[in-house]
This record gives sequence, C-alpha cells and structure tokens, in this order.
Amino acid sequence: MAAFWRLRIVRDLGIALIVVFGVGSIAMLLAHVSPIDGFSALFDGAFGTTSEFAETLVSATALLFPALGIALAFRAGLFNIGAEGQLILGGLAAGIAGVFVPGPPVVSIVVTLLAGALAGGLWGGIAGFLKARFGANEVIATLMLNVVAALFANYVVNGPWHFATATEGETPLLARSAWLPTIVPDTRLTIAFVIALLLALVLRFVFTRTVFGFELRAAGEAPEAARRSGIDLSRMALLALTLSGAIAGIGGATLVTGVLHRFNTGLSPGYGFVAIAVALVGNLEPLWIAVAAFAFGILQNGALSMQAEANVPRDIVNVVEGLVIIALAGRRYVASRRST
Amino acid sequence: MNALGAALVALGVLTLIKATPLIFAALGGVLSERSGVVNIGLEGMMIAGAFTAVCVSGATGSPLLGACAGVIAGAALAALLAYVATKLAFDQIVAGTGVNIVALGGAAFGLVLVFGQPGASREVTAFGGPGETGLTVLALVLAAALSFFLNRTPWGLRVRACGENPRAAASAGIDPLRTRFWAVVAGGAIAALGGVYLSLAELDLYSDGMTAGRGYIALAAVIFGRWTPFGATGAALFFGFFSALQYTLQRAGIPSELMQALPYLAALVALAGLAGRVRAPASDGVPYVADSVRRA
Repeated sequence: MAAFWRLRIVRDLGIALIVVFGVGSIAMLLAHVSPIDGFSALFDGAFGTTSEFAETLVSATALLFPALGIALAFRAGLFNIGAEGQLILGGLAAGIAGVFVPGPPVVSIVVTLLAGALAGGLWGGIAGFLKARFGANEVIATLMLNVVAALFANYVVNGPWHFATATEGETPLLARSAWLPTIVPDTRLTIAFVIALLLALVLRFVFTRTVFGFELRAAGEAPEAARRSGIDLSRMALLALTLSGAIAGIGGATLVTGVLHRFNTGLSPGYGFVAIAVALVGNLEPLWIAVAAFAFGILQNGALSMQAEANVPRDIVNVVEGLVIIALAGRRYVASRRST
Repeated sequence: MNALGAALVALGVLTLIKATPLIFAALGGVLSERSGVVNIGLEGMMIAGAFTAVCVSGATGSPLLGACAGVIAGAALAALLAYVATKLAFDQIVAGTGVNIVALGGAAFGLVLVFGQPGASREVTAFGGPGETGLTVLALVLAAALSFFLNRTPWGLRVRACGENPRAAASAGIDPLRTRFWAVVAGGAIAALGGVYLSLAELDLYSDGMTAGRGYIALAAVIFGRWTPFGATGAALFFGFFSALQYTLQRAGIPSELMQALPYLAALVALAGLAGRVRAPASDGVPYVADSVRRA
C-alpha cells in the first residue's frame, strides 16, 4: 500500500481528488447547496444518459489535445502557457479553410485539421523562435500571444473580413463534407475522440522509443548534459513549442469541425488553461493524461448540470482546477535556470 | 496649434490613466522577483483586488474600506503563492498560473454569490475622478518608496540578497524563506491596488475579465524595467502610452483590435529585444531549499 502511494501518479491523483471534493463541497455550502445534491447533479450530468456521457467524452477530447501539447513542451523544459491562443487560432484556421476548401469528406477533413495544426504551430513557433533566437522567456511570450490571438480572431470574424453569410462573431457554417463523422449517432462525439487517443499513443511512443523523444526529454531534464552531447537546445525549443502549438491547434480545429461546425469567438471556455491542470494530473505522461482528461471532462460537463439542477455557479470548477494546478506544482520541471 | 496641444495633453493624461494599474502590478512584480520569486500570479492578484474592493464598497458604501479589503485580498492570494513557492519549494511558474485561474474563477463564482448575477456586478460607490488622480499619484510615490526601500534600507538589502544568493544570505543570518514570503505578500498587496484602481477608480463595478491580461504586461514591464522600480514604472508608462494611443487613433480607421493588441505586441518586441541583455536577479525563480546540514 505504501509503495502504491509512493507512485507519483497515484499520489497526484489522490491530491487532485481531495481538492476537487474538499473545495467543491465548501463552495457548494457557500452557495447554500448540500454537497451531496451538488455532486450528484454533477455526476448525473456527466453520466446520466448516453448523450450526456458522450458530451463528457467531447469535453475530455477538447482538453486532451491541448494537454498533450502542453506535456510535450513541459517535457522539453518549456512552459507553454499559450495553448489557449494556439487552440483558438487553430479553430479559426479550420473554420476558414472549411468554408473555402470544399471537397470529398476525407480531403476537407484532412485539410481543415492541417490548417488547424499549421495555425497553432505557427503561434507556438513564434514563442519558440523568440526563445531560440533571442532567448526570450517563453512563459511571458505565450501569455501575451494568448491575448493577441483572441484579439486577432475577433478582428477576423467581426472586422472588414466579416463573412457576409455569418452572424457577428462567427464564421459561416462549414460544408457538410468538413464535419467530422460521429461515432455515437445523435451526439457530438466524433472521431476527434479517437484521433486524440491515437495521438496520445503516438506521443507515448515518441517519448519512450524515439531518438527525438529522448533528446526532447534530455533537453528538459538535463539541458547542460544535453548540450554537451550535441543536442541543439535552441532548435529543440523551436521544435517543441511549434509541435506543442500544432497539437493544441488540431484540438481547436476538431472543436470547429466536430462540435460547433463553425468558428466562433466563444470557441474555448479556457480549455487551454484547464489543460495545464490535465497535463499535470497526468504527470506529463500521454496515457495518464488521457485518463486525467476524462476526469476533467466529467467536471467540465457535469458543471453545466450542477449549475442548472443544483444552482451552483459552474465557475467553481475553475477554482478547483486552478487549485489542483497549485497543489501539483511540486514537481521539478526545469533542471537549470531558465533564461530570460 | 492649440488643438494639437490639447490633443497631446489628452494623450498624456490618458497614458497616465492607462499606465497606473500596470505600475502597481509591475511594482508588485519587482518586489517579488527581487526576493527571488517569479510572480506569474500578478493578474490573479489584480482580479482579487478588483473584485473584493467592489464587494466591500457595495456592502459598506465606502470605497476606502473597499480598497483596503481589495489590498488584503491580493495579499491573501499572494500568501498562498508565497507559501507554496517558499515553504514547499513548488514550481513558481506553474503555481502562479494556477493562482490566476483560481482568481478568475473565484471572482466569477463570487459575482453570483454576492450580486446574484453572472458577468458583472452592479454599480457601487466608487472613488471617481479625484480617486483616479490620487491613485495615480500613489503609484508614482510607491515607485519612489520601493526604490528607496530596495536600495537604501537594510530590509531592502536583505530582499535583494535572497534574490541573488539565498544561500549566502542564509549564512549571514537572513531567513530566505521568510523574506521571500513577505516580499511576495507585499507584492501581492501592491498589485491588488492595480485591480482596485480598475474597479473603483476607472469604473464603479467588477466585470469578468476586466483585468484583460494587464498582469502579464506588468510581467514584461518588470523585465523591460530591469527589475528596478523606476525602470518598471517607465516600462508601464510606455505600455500605457500604447493603450492610450488606441483611443486617440481609433478615429483614424485603424481596427480597434490591432490597437488593443499594441501594448502586447510592444511587450513581445521588448521581451525579444532585451533578452540576454538584461540580467534577472540570479536566483529569480529558483526555489530555496535549506541545506540538510544546517537543519541538523
């Protein structure tokens, strides 16, 4: 039992659960709701029916993509706090590509997802470039880029490029051919869920079985040793942040092609930030991150019915998620001093 | 000429108005980082200050009490970050990110609990124009005071010692963990004043997202200002100028989003241009863990 508890992932999951139920209960009491009613509304909303369970998996998928991207960057010793902006721009690019590039389903799906990956990768790559070329702090750069991304998306859908056929704050509805096929009929659960799980498997393989993955982890865990053995840390920073952004961008694209079928400025209720908690709870290991994404999917989706049924404002979920991040900040993420 | 002069004066005044919350947050950041703790949570401390100030002013009708409560709330949130960053030696960047999320969610949750509505509070008694001026003056005075404190007092020396070389500071009898803790808490209190300014001086209510990433610009201002109070204030004025331009140039047909993005873009450019040429406190961001020998 003691050995089991010593497993980092078990301990972290335990801490996260304590925070969720402890703080959640206190907040519910503050809102004059019995925690039993509140949590049962939450779990009922997450698991009650097939379509509610499907929605939970939709939320989990939305979190899994950016969380995997964040984990990739963290593994390389880089704090990508910019998944939110990368995800939004990935969604925007997919929303535009989906309107202008009609074609047979396979083609338009691939094109929209690639557009998302490119846009997200470009946004992450900017931070990577500033880091690699100038040594600019990636934390602050990605935080700024988040704000700029949101403003840019606003501009595109409301400004002079405003689409004649769309309402304020949105792109037009995508052509049917660009919609991701559902895997459970009459729900919004699409093959995005499968893609996300496959991506987790691929990343696990990359981390554990490839030279690139080894170099990436080396750059994160022992940068000085990595540099001395010939790994170009600047190039690694550029690559890691670009890939990290691309993965978040694909996530944004799947929200557009699978869930909303258009881009709108409310695409993400902060998935890119919650995903930090998901990546940490998952101990930066892709398969555990998938498990953590499922757990946070329950919270995200259940919060809606907790608010509707039990009158607990759903924002409490964000408080809980933020506290989970703080509680799990104990791991050493960078071996040496960061450059500024 | 007179019209141009008036426009320039208006731009100058607007620059001060827009820079004031940034100055407070940046000064809070300077104090915290000089002690060796990177404070990503400035944004969250501004939110805590802005929201709590509105709640208390709404309940008591006194904006002054509101401001005090806001400062205390910012300090309390900073104490959470300070505790995990010093005593527990947690990662400061990850924990600071969590602090921001907690504050944003907590204020949104609190809006419903206290004011019974999501999105924004009702209007409360605020400082208005004189308070705006007063807080701007206070920000500038604080910059001078902090500069004096850091450079000319023994306490300031201790704070700086903990940011440069906590081990050496410890062997000189200073407790790095305690010093850092209180520097972060005081920094949070100062940053919260920036939030108070937004909610009780510039406006008279709290609305979700009203801090709009100013805490992040303040982080850039700290670097841009080379971790000194006057430098950070200058950088905050610089970014405030770009915010002010937004209103002046709006009539010229430049998209408002581009103008809103200007201070962030300016900060990005500054970040890249200055990196490598400025030196952070040597132990900024590095948790201090006492040697086990000393503990024994």
